[in-house]
Amino acid sequence: MKLERKPFSKDILHLDNVDEVIDEICQQLREDVYKKFRRYGGVIGISGGIDSSATLAIAVKAFGADKLLGIMLPETDSSPDSEELARELANKFGVNSIVENISGALNGFGCYVRRDDAVKSVIPEFNPEVDKMKVIIPQEFVNKNMPPVHYAAVIFEDGSEKQARLPMKEYLQIVAASNFKQRCRANMLYFHAEALNYAVLGTPNKHEVQQGFFVKYGDGAADVMPIGNLYKTQVYQIARHLGVPEGILQRTPTTDTYTAEQTQEEFFYQMPFEKMDLLWYGWENDYSAEEVAKVMEMTPEQVEKIYKNFARKKKTTEYLRTPPLHHYCLKGEKTEQ
Amino acid sequence: MKEQIKNFIAETTFIDASTINDDTLIFDEGIFDSMGLLSLISFIEEEYGVVAEDTELQEDNFGSVERIAAFVEKKKAA
Repeated sequence: MKLERKPFSKDILHLDNVDEVIDEICQQLREDVYKKFRRYGGVIGISGGIDSSATLAIAVKAFGADKLLGIMLPETDSSPDSEELARELANKFGVNSIVENISGALNGFGCYVRRDDAVKSVIPEFNPEVDKMKVIIPQEFVNKNMPPVHYAAVIFEDGSEKQARLPMKEYLQIVAASNFKQRCRANMLYFHAEALNYAVLGTPNKHEVQQGFFVKYGDGAADVMPIGNLYKTQVYQIARHLGVPEGILQRTPTTDTYTAEQTQEEFFYQMPFEKMDLLWYGWENDYSAEEVAKVMEMTPEQVEKIYKNFARKKKTTEYLRTPPLHHYCLKGEKTEQ
Repeated sequence: MKEQIKNFIAETTFIDASTINDDTLIFDEGIFDSMGLLSLISFIEEEYGVVAEDTELQEDNFGSVERIAAFVEKKKAA
């Protein structure tokens, strides 16, 4: 018997049974962390953003506040709001929290110098001492059936701005240097996790996992990802339901990676998360572009283009989601992969 | 030129050049991602001296081997 599926609508992602969903996640988390991994609790990198906050709120329900450690991992470019909001979150949920500033480690790796050198090679006037920088994807790429091209944007001390398209070498150097941040954080999280015999609770949501908006062995390094199967809309719903502070719920999702402020939409997703959630759901569940277009007040051609973009993003980021391959063996020997 | 472009795409993506036709949609088919597009921009600049402006980064100019070749020809003639 074929089940009737819901017609596509703007509230199709709303969780009618939010308590049940939370309970199910918590039960699975206890099963995985306690029984499968035999860890006593969890550490979470808390950034004051919605994802890590929702993860912490769920984890408190799953394990209890006394089995968790929240770690704030600021560095030179972090917004001071991040630490303040993360502290407020930990206090509200009664979770012990610590601050580990990773700027020294990043300096040691040459993270800032390597990144700024690459920016200077396309915008020579850039002075990292006083100017701010970010990497952006111009909005027009969302309506093109093409992979996006990244631009360096410098906001000079006097407020003026200059953008320049990044050639491959410079783009890769900026990304590689910036990724030191997430990888340093992962190192620190694993230090504390191992010192306490805890698991690392990762914070990526469904879009980050599926579209590859995470750093391999950086924020992608974790033992479990409690919200890895939830749409951002649902992450907000759960966070609100569990009492995550209003300041976090109201904050625009940022990358908090470059010296200039930058939203996740500007850097990666190219559309508001509410819209992206619905379109991704439509694509993932084989709703036709016509049906989705009607609800989203778009043309079927626009929806088709976005579907193609999703398919391409998922395919081209497979490398990030793939664990190390070890299926190399002598002929005839049994392998596990 | 088309063969040269095809070979470049094949070498960059580790796929067999015979599987790429002149009209294969290289982005739609997932053959090229952002990195591929950037390498293609560098390739036509180094190989043919053609600099693609920001506004020219369109599927019509880069979507397939034949479109890339036509774009390069047009730019060289200008």
